Amino acid sequence: MERLKQILSDICPGIDLQSQVMIDDGLIDSFDMVALVSELMDEFGVNISIEDIIPENFNSVAAMQALIERAD
Amino acid sequence: MSTVSLTFLLFVAAGLLLYYMAPKKLQWILLLALSYIFYLSGGVSMTGYLLFTTLSTFLAALFIGRQNKRLSDLSREEREKAKKAVGRKKKLVCALAIVLNFGLLYFLKYWNFMAELFQSAFSVTLVRFDLIMPLAISFYMFQSVGYLVDVYRDKYPAQKNVFKYMLFVSFFPQMVQGPIGRYDALAPQLLGGHKLDFENLKAGIQLMVWGYFKKLLIADRAAVVANQVFGNYEEYGGTVILFGVILYCIQLYCDFSGGIDIIRGVAKLFGIEMAENFRQPFFAVSLTDFWRRWHISLGTWMKDYLFYSISFSKPLMRFGKFSRRKIGGRFGKILPTSIATFIIYFVIGIWHGASFKYVAFGLWNGILITSALLLEPAFIKIKKKLHIRDKNRWYHVFQVLRTTVIIIIGRYLTRADGFLYAVAMLKKTLLHPIASQIVNGELLRLGLKMEDYLVIVFGMALLLFAEVLQECGKSLSAVLDRAPSFCQYAVMAMGFICILWFGVFSGDYIASEFIYMQY
Repeated sequence: MERLKQILSDICPGIDLQSQVMIDDGLIDSFDMVALVSELMDEFGVNISIEDIIPENFNSVAAMQALIERAD
Repeated sequence: MSTVSLTFLLFVAAGLLLYYMAPKKLQWILLLALSYIFYLSGGVSMTGYLLFTTLSTFLAALFIGRQNKRLSDLSREEREKAKKAVGRKKKLVCALAIVLNFGLLYFLKYWNFMAELFQSAFSVTLVRFDLIMPLAISFYMFQSVGYLVDVYRDKYPAQKNVFKYMLFVSFFPQMVQGPIGRYDALAPQLLGGHKLDFENLKAGIQLMVWGYFKKLLIADRAAVVANQVFGNYEEYGGTVILFGVILYCIQLYCDFSGGIDIIRGVAKLFGIEMAENFRQPFFAVSLTDFWRRWHISLGTWMKDYLFYSISFSKPLMRFGKFSRRKIGGRFGKILPTSIATFIIYFVIGIWHGASFKYVAFGLWNGILITSALLLEPAFIKIKKKLHIRDKNRWYHVFQVLRTTVIIIIGRYLTRADGFLYAVAMLKKTLLHPIASQIVNGELLRLGLKMEDYLVIVFGMALLLFAEVLQECGKSLSAVLDRAPSFCQYAVMAMGFICILWFGVFSGDYIASEFIYMQY
């Protein structure tokens, strides 16, 4: 979880890590999203497909954590 | 049937009457009938293209939806085994439907242009066709392909009823110039019943009046000057040319956003909320910001279906890994995203039409946005050295003005008769301004009288006031809603009279077609 928060802060400096609406509120834009997904795939060795790129999977740190755990 | 015609208003009024008289369960059937009557009024042959896109995407999505269902019904182990084979089938069907549809769009839009290119480059004569672009083809095609890709990505199940899907694709207000709707937002509203709601009627009429105000009072007047200047630019000095281009920018915004307001207003009368297409684009602080505020439904479509598809494609992901490892740093990280970004803006450029000027427009946007992305660290350093903070008001104004200049330059490209004409006009603007033409009465020889200019100035002042309110999170309609009822009716009546007086009965010109209809 800490590593995930660190990656998120590096890509989106100043982001509110407690937010539950990171996508809905535009805190993560499309450029950030591509960088974030690439970074998560590299860091956690998981495969995140385009079907997973939906707001529900990226609206909060917990949702991202759950996505990483689900991904193979 | 033009949306700026009495026939259209009567069609909407009759449709509304029938819609609210019909039982809720049958309302969607009536909407479908209205939509096809509207589209057929433009020509029977055009309806063939609409049916082709509707049926091809419907059948492909139905097949893909069944495969999704099949997979979800399997146990985890069985699913893992079947995933690859099913995935291949899904991909094949999805790709086939997309290639068929975009192939058709490519043929209609670019075939003659490509034939011309081949002839001049290789002296090869290709057959040319006398092709007419079907009304709103790219809008309904993008909407249908968006639905198909969503089903492919298993975002929601496929629609099984072909008639219900036909309504989603052909809903008549969107069959002029979009906006490009999303199935999960639009279909439930279209298919669910609505009861007559006075608030919806009021909001819909307000939106329509606002749209007609923008279109008939401002856009169609500004068009007279734009047409004169772009059509005869060699007669004028650079300052008059710049004046003409600025009026074209005003025309384009009021024409497109006015048209969308009318469309959204009509949909609201039926209780249907359509996607927003504009968010004060002339307050944008960068070109990227501008494209987030202008033609939003196209921008989000490009982001969701093209940008992500390119960014997460295997070759670009592999390239991303390579660039992060070998190039490293921020540049290495954002290089793949920049490539995808460049492709998107280039595609948006050539989507506007088959001509070198649109290729140049695509390159203009693509190069500027990609460069801004890649050079961002350098800009941050420069700003730090000059003690510029993003929150400074003067810096914000500077950003808005800089973006406006960039957009105006882009409009030379989209409106001029060709790329070389655009360059010639730009050259004249910069090198031969002849500023005296602005004060020697030349502006009154561009087709508009002084009172027409005054209508544009007052119209734009009101529009600007409304946009400032919206930028501050308020809206003109909310301000109006808080006023006493008689004030609300008085304002609406005044608006209506203004449109009739200044938009319909005065002026020696007729209401022109919407610019974005041709795309």
